[in-house]
Amino acid sequence: MTTLKAVACYLPDKRMPVEDVAGQLELTAMQVRLFRRYLGMSEIRLDLGGTPLDLLSAATARLGALRGLEHLVRYVLYARALPVVVPYPVNPVRDLCRSFGLDHAVSFTVSHQACASGLLAVDIAGRLLAEDGDPDALALVVTGEKAFTRDAQLVPGMSIFGEAAAACLVGSDGPADRVISYAVNVRGEFDGRLDEAPEMASRFEKEYPTSMAEAMTTAADQAGVSLGELSLILPHNVNALFWQRLCRRIGFPVGRVLLDNVPVAGHAFCADPFINYVTAMERGLLRSGDRYLIAAAGVGATFAAMVVEH
Amino acid sequence: MEQETAPQLSDTGLRQRALDAIAAVLPRVLAREGLVIAPEMKLMSDLGMRSASMLELLLELEDHLDIEIDVEDIDAAAMTSVGDLADYVAGHAITNA
Repeated sequence: MTTLKAVACYLPDKRMPVEDVAGQLELTAMQVRLFRRYLGMSEIRLDLGGTPLDLLSAATARLGALRGLEHLVRYVLYARALPVVVPYPVNPVRDLCRSFGLDHAVSFTVSHQACASGLLAVDIAGRLLAEDGDPDALALVVTGEKAFTRDAQLVPGMSIFGEAAAACLVGSDGPADRVISYAVNVRGEFDGRLDEAPEMASRFEKEYPTSMAEAMTTAADQAGVSLGELSLILPHNVNALFWQRLCRRIGFPVGRVLLDNVPVAGHAFCADPFINYVTAMERGLLRSGDRYLIAAAGVGATFAAMVVEH
Repeated sequence: MEQETAPQLSDTGLRQRALDAIAAVLPRVLAREGLVIAPEMKLMSDLGMRSASMLELLLELEDHLDIEIDVEDIDAAAMTSVGDLADYVAGHAITNA
Protein backbone atom coordinates (compact mmCIF):
# COMPACT_ATOMS: atom_id res chain seq x y z
CA MET A 1 0.00 0.00 0.00
CA THR A 2 1.49 3.30 -1.10
CA THR A 3 1.60 5.85 1.70
CA LEU A 4 2.30 9.57 1.82
CA LYS A 5 4.45 9.94 4.91
CA ALA A 6 5.13 13.66 4.78
CA VAL A 7 4.70 16.55 2.39
CA ALA A 8 6.45 19.93 2.35
CA CYS A 9 6.28 22.83 -0.03
CA TYR A 10 8.02 26.04 -0.87
CA LEU A 11 6.37 29.18 -2.19
CA PRO A 12 8.85 31.91 -3.15
CA ASP A 13 8.32 35.25 -1.41
CA LYS A 14 8.15 37.26 -4.61
CA ARG A 15 4.51 37.92 -5.48
CA MET A 16 3.81 39.08 -9.02
CA PRO A 17 0.36 40.54 -9.72
CA VAL A 18 -1.10 39.41 -13.03
CA GLU A 19 -0.82 43.00 -14.27
CA ASP A 20 2.96 42.86 -13.78
CA VAL A 21 3.41 39.81 -16.00
CA ALA A 22 0.90 40.97 -18.61
CA GLY A 23 3.57 42.65 -20.73
CA GLN A 24 5.85 39.66 -21.10
CA LEU A 25 2.87 37.35 -21.62
CA GLU A 26 1.36 39.72 -24.22
CA LEU A 27 -1.96 39.89 -22.36
CA THR A 28 -4.43 42.63 -23.18
CA ALA A 29 -6.05 44.62 -20.37
CA MET A 30 -9.24 42.62 -20.95
CA GLN A 31 -7.37 39.32 -20.68
CA VAL A 32 -5.87 40.46 -17.38
CA ARG A 33 -9.37 41.25 -16.15
CA LEU A 34 -10.50 37.83 -17.34
CA PHE A 35 -7.84 36.12 -15.22
CA ARG A 36 -8.68 38.18 -12.16
CA ARG A 37 -12.45 38.42 -12.34
CA TYR A 38 -13.53 35.11 -13.90
CA LEU A 39 -10.62 32.69 -13.51
CA GLY A 40 -9.74 33.77 -9.98
CA MET A 41 -6.02 34.35 -10.58
CA SER A 42 -4.63 37.52 -9.07
CA GLU A 43 -0.94 36.83 -8.66
CA ILE A 44 1.75 34.21 -9.07
CA ARG A 45 4.98 33.51 -7.18
CA LEU A 46 8.38 33.75 -8.85
CA ASP A 47 11.79 32.73 -7.56
CA LEU A 48 13.59 35.48 -9.43
CA GLY A 49 17.17 34.51 -10.21
CA GLY A 50 16.66 31.06 -8.73
CA THR A 51 17.33 27.76 -10.47
CA PRO A 52 15.29 24.55 -10.58
CA LEU A 53 17.73 23.15 -7.99
CA ASP A 54 17.01 26.12 -5.70
CA LEU A 55 13.30 25.35 -5.88
CA LEU A 56 13.73 21.62 -5.22
CA SER A 57 16.21 22.24 -2.41
CA ALA A 58 13.93 24.75 -0.67
CA ALA A 59 11.06 22.23 -0.62
CA THR A 60 13.24 19.30 0.43
CA ALA A 61 14.84 21.35 3.23
CA ARG A 62 11.33 21.86 4.65
CA LEU A 63 10.67 18.11 4.72
CA GLY A 64 11.60 17.53 8.37
CA ALA A 65 10.46 13.89 8.24
CA LEU A 66 13.36 13.10 5.90
CA ARG A 67 16.02 13.91 8.54
CA GLY A 68 17.72 10.78 9.78
CA LEU A 69 15.95 8.58 7.25
CA GLU A 70 18.06 9.45 4.24
CA HIS A 71 19.66 6.00 4.20
CA LEU A 72 16.21 4.42 3.70
CA VAL A 73 15.47 6.42 0.56
CA ARG A 74 15.84 4.09 -2.42
CA TYR A 75 14.39 6.30 -5.13
CA VAL A 76 14.22 9.99 -5.89
CA LEU A 77 11.69 10.96 -8.56
CA TYR A 78 11.57 14.41 -10.12
CA ALA A 79 8.04 14.97 -11.40
CA ARG A 80 7.72 17.82 -13.82
CA ALA A 81 5.52 19.11 -16.60
CA LEU A 82 8.17 20.21 -19.06
CA PRO A 83 10.49 17.66 -20.69
CA VAL A 84 13.49 20.00 -20.86
CA VAL A 85 14.21 22.47 -18.06
CA VAL A 86 18.01 22.80 -17.88
CA PRO A 87 20.85 22.66 -20.40
CA TYR A 88 23.01 19.54 -20.55
CA PRO A 89 24.92 18.49 -18.44
CA VAL A 90 23.14 20.25 -15.56
CA ASN A 91 21.21 17.67 -13.56
CA PRO A 92 19.26 19.21 -10.69
CA VAL A 93 17.93 15.92 -9.33
CA ARG A 94 21.44 14.44 -8.96
CA ASP A 95 22.64 17.70 -7.41
CA LEU A 96 19.71 17.51 -5.01
CA CYS A 97 20.63 13.94 -4.06
CA ARG A 98 24.23 14.98 -3.34
CA SER A 99 23.10 17.94 -1.22
CA PHE A 100 20.71 15.96 0.94
CA GLY A 101 22.65 12.75 1.56
CA LEU A 102 20.71 10.80 -1.03
CA ASP A 103 23.52 10.09 -3.44
CA HIS A 104 22.96 6.34 -3.05
CA ALA A 105 19.38 6.56 -4.33
CA VAL A 106 18.28 5.72 -7.86
CA SER A 107 16.98 8.96 -9.33
CA PHE A 108 15.02 9.75 -12.44
CA THR A 109 12.55 12.21 -13.93
CA VAL A 110 8.88 11.63 -14.73
CA SER A 111 7.48 14.13 -17.21
CA HIS A 112 5.30 12.67 -19.91
CA GLN A 113 1.97 13.41 -18.25
CA ALA A 114 2.72 17.13 -17.97
CA CYS A 115 1.12 18.62 -14.84
CA ALA A 116 -0.39 15.24 -13.93
CA SER A 117 3.13 13.75 -13.62
CA GLY A 118 3.21 14.39 -9.87
CA LEU A 119 0.51 11.81 -9.22
CA LEU A 120 2.15 9.41 -11.67
CA ALA A 121 5.44 9.79 -9.76
CA VAL A 122 3.72 8.93 -6.47
CA ASP A 123 2.19 5.86 -8.10
CA ILE A 124 5.52 4.76 -9.59
CA ALA A 125 7.28 5.32 -6.27
CA GLY A 126 4.72 3.16 -4.50
CA ARG A 127 5.04 0.37 -7.04
CA LEU A 128 8.84 0.41 -6.86
CA LEU A 129 8.73 0.24 -3.08
CA ALA A 130 6.22 -2.62 -3.19
CA GLU A 131 8.63 -4.57 -5.42
CA ASP A 132 11.53 -3.66 -3.16
CA GLY A 133 10.11 -5.73 -0.31
CA ASP A 134 11.63 -3.71 2.55
CA PRO A 135 8.72 -2.16 4.51
CA ASP A 136 11.01 0.61 5.76
CA ALA A 137 12.20 1.65 2.30
CA LEU A 138 11.23 5.13 1.15
CA ALA A 139 11.04 7.20 -2.00
CA LEU A 140 11.22 10.95 -2.37
CA VAL A 141 9.06 12.67 -4.98
CA VAL A 142 10.06 16.25 -5.71
CA THR A 143 8.51 18.76 -8.05
CA GLY A 144 9.17 22.36 -8.94
CA GLU A 145 9.79 24.21 -12.19
CA LYS A 146 10.77 27.57 -13.58
CA ALA A 147 8.14 29.46 -15.54
CA PHE A 148 10.90 30.45 -17.91
CA THR A 149 9.25 31.11 -21.26
CA ARG A 150 5.88 32.47 -22.38
CA ASP A 151 4.87 28.95 -23.40
CA ALA A 152 5.81 27.68 -19.93
CA GLN A 153 3.93 30.47 -18.20
CA LEU A 154 0.65 30.75 -20.04
CA VAL A 155 -2.21 28.68 -21.38
CA PRO A 156 -4.20 31.50 -23.01
CA GLY A 157 -7.59 32.06 -21.45
CA MET A 158 -7.07 29.21 -19.01
CA SER A 159 -4.09 29.50 -16.68
CA ILE A 160 -0.96 31.37 -15.65
CA PHE A 161 1.93 29.37 -14.24
CA GLY A 162 4.04 30.40 -11.27
CA GLU A 163 7.05 28.95 -9.53
CA ALA A 164 6.83 26.80 -6.41
CA ALA A 165 8.05 23.40 -5.30
CA ALA A 166 7.04 20.41 -3.22
CA ALA A 167 8.66 17.34 -1.69
CA CYS A 168 6.73 14.22 -0.72
CA LEU A 169 8.11 11.28 1.21
CA VAL A 170 6.50 8.08 -0.03
CA GLY A 171 6.49 4.77 1.82
CA SER A 172 4.80 1.41 1.59
CA ASP A 173 3.83 0.79 5.19
CA GLY A 174 3.24 2.33 8.59
CA PRO A 175 1.13 5.22 9.82
CA ALA A 176 0.62 7.72 7.04
CA ASP A 177 -1.89 8.81 4.44
CA ARG A 178 -2.78 5.65 2.49
CA VAL A 179 -3.28 5.81 -1.28
CA ILE A 180 -6.39 3.75 -1.95
CA SER A 181 -6.79 4.25 -5.66
CA TYR A 182 -5.24 5.95 -8.65
CA ALA A 183 -6.98 6.47 -11.97
CA VAL A 184 -5.55 8.02 -15.07
CA ASN A 185 -7.36 8.98 -18.23
CA VAL A 186 -4.86 9.54 -21.06
CA ARG A 187 -6.22 11.39 -24.09
CA GLY A 188 -3.31 11.30 -26.51
CA GLU A 189 -5.39 12.76 -29.31
CA PHE A 190 -4.90 16.15 -27.66
CA ASP A 191 -1.12 16.09 -28.03
CA GLY A 192 0.12 19.18 -29.85
CA ARG A 193 0.17 22.95 -29.64
CA LEU A 194 -3.30 24.16 -28.75
CA ASP A 195 -2.61 27.66 -30.06
CA GLU A 196 -1.76 26.28 -33.51
CA ALA A 197 -4.64 23.82 -33.79
CA PRO A 198 -7.90 25.67 -33.05
CA GLU A 199 -10.12 22.72 -33.86
CA MET A 200 -8.22 20.47 -31.45
CA ALA A 201 -8.19 23.26 -28.87
CA SER A 202 -11.94 23.56 -29.16
CA ARG A 203 -12.45 19.81 -28.67
CA PHE A 204 -9.97 19.81 -25.78
CA GLU A 205 -11.84 22.65 -24.11
CA LYS A 206 -15.12 20.80 -24.49
CA GLU A 207 -13.83 17.45 -23.24
CA TYR A 208 -11.55 18.71 -20.46
CA PRO A 209 -14.23 18.75 -17.73
CA THR A 210 -15.73 15.44 -18.85
CA SER A 211 -12.33 13.74 -18.89
CA MET A 212 -11.41 15.14 -15.49
CA ALA A 213 -14.74 14.01 -14.05
CA GLU A 214 -14.23 10.52 -15.51
CA ALA A 215 -10.84 10.14 -13.84
CA MET A 216 -12.26 11.35 -10.52
CA THR A 217 -15.27 9.03 -10.71
CA THR A 218 -13.08 6.07 -11.64
CA ALA A 219 -10.72 6.73 -8.73
CA ALA A 220 -13.68 7.05 -6.35
CA ASP A 221 -15.26 3.85 -7.68
CA GLN A 222 -11.99 1.96 -7.28
CA ALA A 223 -11.73 3.26 -3.71
CA GLY A 224 -15.29 2.15 -2.97
CA VAL A 225 -16.56 5.63 -2.15
CA SER A 226 -18.93 8.03 -3.84
CA LEU A 227 -17.67 11.50 -4.74
CA GLY A 228 -20.05 12.90 -2.13
CA GLU A 229 -18.31 10.91 0.61
CA LEU A 230 -15.00 12.63 -0.04
CA SER A 231 -14.02 15.12 2.64
CA LEU A 232 -11.97 17.28 0.37
CA ILE A 233 -10.62 17.62 -3.15
CA LEU A 234 -7.06 18.86 -3.53
CA PRO A 235 -6.99 20.11 -7.12
CA HIS A 236 -4.47 21.33 -9.60
CA ASN A 237 -4.74 25.11 -9.71
CA VAL A 238 -5.66 25.47 -13.38
CA ASN A 239 -8.14 28.21 -12.41
CA ALA A 240 -11.05 28.65 -10.02
CA LEU A 241 -13.81 28.84 -12.62
CA PHE A 242 -12.99 25.40 -14.02
CA TRP A 243 -13.51 23.82 -10.60
CA GLN A 244 -16.63 25.84 -9.84
CA ARG A 245 -18.19 24.68 -13.09
CA LEU A 246 -17.04 21.09 -12.70
CA CYS A 247 -18.50 20.97 -9.20
CA ARG A 248 -21.86 22.12 -10.51
CA ARG A 249 -21.69 19.46 -13.19
CA ILE A 250 -20.89 16.57 -10.82
CA GLY A 251 -22.92 17.87 -7.87
CA PHE A 252 -19.97 18.25 -5.53
CA PRO A 253 -19.89 21.21 -3.11
CA VAL A 254 -17.25 23.63 -4.35
CA GLY A 255 -16.58 24.62 -0.73
CA ARG A 256 -14.89 21.22 -0.32
CA VAL A 257 -12.42 21.92 -3.13
CA LEU A 258 -9.36 23.70 -1.79
CA LEU A 259 -9.06 26.64 -4.16
CA ASP A 260 -7.46 29.12 -1.75
CA ASN A 261 -4.06 28.97 -3.43
CA VAL A 262 -5.33 29.71 -6.95
CA PRO A 263 -5.48 33.49 -6.47
CA VAL A 264 -2.16 33.77 -4.63
CA ALA A 265 0.06 31.16 -6.29
CA GLY A 266 -1.36 30.50 -9.75
CA HIS A 267 -0.72 27.14 -11.35
CA ALA A 268 2.65 25.76 -10.18
CA PHE A 269 2.97 22.89 -12.67
CA CYS A 270 2.99 19.52 -10.81
CA ALA A 271 3.32 21.09 -7.36
CA ASP A 272 -0.27 22.30 -6.89
CA PRO A 273 -1.86 19.24 -5.24
CA PHE A 274 1.04 18.92 -2.80
CA ILE A 275 0.92 22.63 -1.93
CA ASN A 276 -2.81 22.28 -1.39
CA TYR A 277 -2.21 19.26 0.85
CA VAL A 278 0.12 21.33 3.04
CA THR A 279 -2.52 24.07 3.23
CA ALA A 280 -5.16 21.50 4.19
CA MET A 281 -2.93 20.18 6.97
CA GLU A 282 -2.08 23.66 8.25
CA ARG A 283 -5.78 24.47 8.47
CA GLY A 284 -6.78 21.17 10.06
CA LEU A 285 -9.13 20.31 7.20
CA LEU A 286 -8.42 16.57 7.36
CA ARG A 287 -9.26 14.26 10.25
CA SER A 288 -8.06 10.75 10.80
CA GLY A 289 -9.96 8.38 8.51
CA ASP A 290 -11.09 11.09 6.10
CA ARG A 291 -10.92 10.16 2.46
CA TYR A 292 -9.91 12.88 0.05
CA LEU A 293 -9.17 13.07 -3.65
CA ILE A 294 -6.16 14.58 -5.34
CA ALA A 295 -6.76 15.67 -8.93
CA ALA A 296 -4.49 16.90 -11.68
CA ALA A 297 -4.60 17.38 -15.42
CA GLY A 298 -1.79 17.83 -17.90
CA VAL A 299 -1.81 19.10 -21.45
CA GLY A 300 -1.20 16.43 -24.01
CA ALA A 301 -3.58 15.32 -22.35
CA THR A 302 -3.75 13.39 -19.08
CA PHE A 303 -6.39 13.49 -16.36
CA ALA A 304 -5.45 11.84 -13.08
CA ALA A 305 -7.08 11.32 -9.71
CA MET A 306 -6.01 9.61 -6.52
CA VAL A 307 -8.14 8.78 -3.49
CA VAL A 308 -6.21 8.87 -0.23
CA GLU A 309 -7.20 8.06 3.34
CA HIS A 310 -5.83 10.39 5.99
CA MET B 1 -20.91 27.28 4.04
CA GLU B 2 -24.12 28.65 2.52
CA GLN B 3 -23.46 30.82 -0.49
CA GLU B 4 -25.52 33.98 -0.79
CA THR B 5 -27.60 34.05 -3.91
CA ALA B 6 -27.18 37.31 -5.75
CA PRO B 7 -30.35 38.91 -7.02
CA GLN B 8 -30.63 38.37 -10.75
CA LEU B 9 -32.44 40.16 -13.49
CA SER B 10 -34.15 38.32 -16.31
CA ASP B 11 -36.25 40.28 -18.72
CA THR B 12 -36.81 40.63 -22.39
CA GLY B 13 -35.69 44.26 -22.29
CA LEU B 14 -32.30 43.21 -21.00
CA ARG B 15 -32.13 40.44 -23.61
CA GLN B 16 -32.65 42.99 -26.40
CA ARG B 17 -30.06 45.30 -24.84
CA ALA B 18 -27.69 42.35 -24.66
CA LEU B 19 -28.28 41.56 -28.34
CA ASP B 20 -27.59 45.18 -29.26
CA ALA B 21 -24.46 45.20 -27.10
CA ILE B 22 -23.19 41.95 -28.64
CA ALA B 23 -23.70 43.42 -32.11
CA ALA B 24 -21.75 46.49 -31.04
CA VAL B 25 -18.77 44.88 -29.30
CA LEU B 26 -18.37 41.45 -30.90
CA PRO B 27 -16.81 42.69 -34.18
CA ARG B 28 -14.12 44.42 -32.12
CA VAL B 29 -13.53 41.35 -29.89
CA LEU B 30 -13.14 39.25 -33.04
CA ALA B 31 -11.04 41.94 -34.73
CA ARG B 32 -13.51 41.81 -37.65
CA GLU B 33 -14.78 45.37 -37.89
CA GLY B 34 -17.85 45.76 -40.09
CA LEU B 35 -19.14 42.28 -39.31
CA VAL B 36 -22.94 42.28 -39.06
CA ILE B 37 -24.11 40.14 -36.14
CA ALA B 38 -27.41 38.25 -36.27
CA PRO B 39 -29.03 36.34 -33.34
CA GLU B 40 -28.95 33.02 -35.21
CA MET B 41 -25.19 33.16 -35.87
CA LYS B 42 -23.31 30.24 -34.30
CA LEU B 43 -20.67 31.44 -31.85
CA MET B 44 -18.18 28.65 -32.45
CA SER B 45 -18.77 27.40 -35.99
CA ASP B 46 -19.72 30.75 -37.63
CA LEU B 47 -17.67 33.16 -35.54
CA GLY B 48 -14.78 30.95 -34.38
CA MET B 49 -15.23 31.74 -30.70
CA ARG B 50 -13.87 29.65 -27.84
CA SER B 51 -14.49 29.70 -24.09
CA ALA B 52 -11.80 32.29 -23.47
CA SER B 53 -13.05 34.68 -26.13
CA MET B 54 -16.59 34.12 -24.87
CA LEU B 55 -15.50 35.17 -21.38
CA GLU B 56 -13.73 38.21 -22.82
CA LEU B 57 -16.93 39.11 -24.63
CA LEU B 58 -18.89 38.81 -21.37
CA LEU B 59 -16.46 41.24 -19.71
CA GLU B 60 -17.00 43.68 -22.57
CA LEU B 61 -20.76 43.26 -22.18
CA GLU B 62 -20.50 43.95 -18.44
CA ASP B 63 -18.86 47.27 -19.25
CA HIS B 64 -21.25 48.08 -22.07
CA LEU B 65 -24.40 47.24 -20.10
CA ASP B 66 -23.08 48.33 -16.70
CA ILE B 67 -23.94 44.99 -15.09
CA GLU B 68 -22.10 42.02 -13.63
CA ILE B 69 -22.64 38.57 -15.12
CA ASP B 70 -22.44 35.34 -13.11
CA VAL B 71 -20.34 32.93 -15.19
CA GLU B 72 -20.19 29.95 -12.82
CA ASP B 73 -22.74 27.87 -14.69
CA ILE B 74 -21.86 29.00 -18.18
CA ASP B 75 -21.73 26.07 -20.58
CA ALA B 76 -19.99 27.16 -23.74
CA ALA B 77 -20.91 23.94 -25.52
CA ALA B 78 -24.63 24.40 -24.88
CA MET B 79 -24.60 28.09 -25.73
CA THR B 80 -24.43 27.82 -29.47
CA SER B 81 -25.81 31.05 -30.95
CA VAL B 82 -25.64 34.78 -30.40
CA GLY B 83 -29.26 34.57 -29.24
CA ASP B 84 -28.32 31.92 -26.66
CA LEU B 85 -25.61 34.23 -25.37
CA ALA B 86 -28.10 37.09 -25.03
CA ASP B 87 -30.43 34.74 -23.12
CA TYR B 88 -27.57 33.83 -20.81
CA VAL B 89 -26.70 37.46 -20.14
CA ALA B 90 -30.34 38.32 -19.43
CA GLY B 91 -30.64 35.37 -17.06
CA HIS B 92 -27.38 35.85 -15.21
CA ALA B 93 -27.07 39.59 -14.73
CA ILE B 94 -26.36 40.33 -11.10
CA THR B 95 -27.61 43.51 -9.50
CA ASN B 96 -25.39 45.19 -6.98
CA ALA B 97 -28.34 45.76 -4.65
